[in-house]
Amino acid sequence: MKLITKTILFFLLISLPLLVIACMYSYKVINAEVKDGTDEALYLEKLNLQNLIKELDKPRNLYLRSDSLTSIVILPEKSNVNTFSDTIIYDKLEDENLRYRLYRAYFFYNGTHYLISCTKPTLEEDELKEGLINSFILVFGFLLLSFFAVTILLSKTLWKPFYKTIEQLNKYDINNETPVVFDKASTKEFKRLNETLSRMTEKIFSDYRRQKEFTENASHELQTPLAVIKTKLDLLIQSKKLGEEELEFLQGMENSVQKISSLNKALLLLTKIENKQFKEHKVVNLKAVIEKVSENYSDLFQEKKVTLTSVLNENVVVDMNPALADLLISNLIQNAYRHNKENGSIEIELNNHKLIVSNTGEPLQIKPEELFVRFKKNDASKESLGLGLSIVKSIAGVYGYKIEYTYTEGKHNFIVIFED
Amino acid sequence: MKVLLIEDEPELRKSIKRFLYQEGYVVESAEDYEKASEKAGDYDYDCVLVDITLPKGNGLDIVRQLKKNNSKAGIIIISAKNSLDDKIAGLDLGADDYLPKPFHLTELNARIKALIRRRNFDGNQSIILNEITILPEERRVKVKNEEITLTTKEYDLLLYFVSNKNRVVSKNSIAEHLVGDNADQADSHDFIYTHLKNLRKKLTEKGCADYVQTIYGIGYNFKTD
Repeated sequence: MKLITKTILFFLLISLPLLVIACMYSYKVINAEVKDGTDEALYLEKLNLQNLIKELDKPRNLYLRSDSLTSIVILPEKSNVNTFSDTIIYDKLEDENLRYRLYRAYFFYNGTHYLISCTKPTLEEDELKEGLINSFILVFGFLLLSFFAVTILLSKTLWKPFYKTIEQLNKYDINNETPVVFDKASTKEFKRLNETLSRMTEKIFSDYRRQKEFTENASHELQTPLAVIKTKLDLLIQSKKLGEEELEFLQGMENSVQKISSLNKALLLLTKIENKQFKEHKVVNLKAVIEKVSENYSDLFQEKKVTLTSVLNENVVVDMNPALADLLISNLIQNAYRHNKENGSIEIELNNHKLIVSNTGEPLQIKPEELFVRFKKNDASKESLGLGLSIVKSIAGVYGYKIEYTYTEGKHNFIVIFED
Repeated sequence: MKVLLIEDEPELRKSIKRFLYQEGYVVESAEDYEKASEKAGDYDYDCVLVDITLPKGNGLDIVRQLKKNNSKAGIIIISAKNSLDDKIAGLDLGADDYLPKPFHLTELNARIKALIRRRNFDGNQSIILNEITILPEERRVKVKNEEITLTTKEYDLLLYFVSNKNRVVSKNSIAEHLVGDNADQADSHDFIYTHLKNLRKKLTEKGCADYVQTIYGIGYNFKTD
């Protein structure tokens, strides 16, 4: 959720109940005030009516309004009535029930008991409610609008350095040998943020470089002892004194040494790709590369009865390091072969926008996004190093190509997108 | 055939020396830059194997020295730093080949033989092995004077066997030779098996003896003795 949306939501969450409470409170207050006012007016009216009684020549009933609610009625005896009450009266003119305040009071004058009644229309509750709600909605709307405007304005000005920083961080590529340089912010908090981020990215950068150097150095240091073991094994297997059992031991050692040395080489290769040490580049015709690699694999395809169909555009040229172009294609084809089934198929499609290498095979057992992670293997029992697709991804990364994977109709599709 | 081996790691030096000695080479060795420079200056060699990182100096300077003295020796750089820059620098200086460590001795052997073959311009370029004749310049193979057509991999495999004849060649070294350095070699054994099967078939069809002996699990021996 965006900061603006969140702020506005918070505002709504707080202001809405507040407004409702304010609305209810106003309603209560207005109601009470109106009642008090009406009652006071009714009391004055009663005093007037009392004066009227005093001026009467003889006691009689007086009906001052046609609805007979304002009236002076003679009572047969003493009464204690002195009450205000609400009543609803049908108004013919307006054709609706109106609310009235009714005041009835006992009055004794000159030996006669009177009951004075007087009424005044009071505030319609519905109308009051409606009016209040309407005005509060209006106020709320204005508040909301101005709040929107202020928030947007703030995020455009106050928060600008923040968004700038995010953008710069987004663009940050650890493989790019340059540390991030943040813009100068005038807000103290953002200044601190940028400083902290600067320090952090520098730290990450140096750690990353050190780690890469470590991998590289460790791999280099391993080469010589591996070379010793490899050459000793080469000499040992020449011996004519070895029995089957000894040869079996040697085979195990051979294979393991080979595996370490391939692993080491692959890791070094990855480091080199990521360090952008393959600087030389030239125009490479991908069709030619694909055909060369497929040719190398053709015997293997035959053996596994895998059929290869390819639709290759002649003129797809890329600006790449030739060795990396070779590696990219051969790792993709190797992958398509390795994870294929007997009597399966491989399809290669190449056009100016993308390269698709598809192969038949069982669905993935790992998450697709893990495919390109180093040492992640779909089938743990397979002898593969689990670095082939990482190499593919690294190479793609160097040239800004995108790699996608889909599984459709029993086929794994690896798509290299050259440009957006 | 005289070889100068410049390598500071004693065990590796011993292994290489031993293997090359068995191949019938005369091997001189040097363990640091000074000794290497001295030997390279004093004697003529057919082939010089030089490690780049040496005590007291850089192997590339030995290459420079040899080139300055117009040495006829073929030069192979053997380096633990499998770096492209070193490779390019070495080849630019006039080295003939670059072999990153760790390598198989059979691979080194094949490289030395290929280098010596290229350097010997004595007219006779073909390799004759009983009924097999290989013309490396043209990458052609004849069996009993009849030409056979081999794929690139089959040809490479045959040449590798012939270079290492009467030796046990491990499957892994074949894989590295055929597939190359940077490949993940998980299917390499299928790979070799397929190519070997096809090669054997093509050779024996023309009446060639089957020289390839399988050495229990570990590899093959191209036995011509």
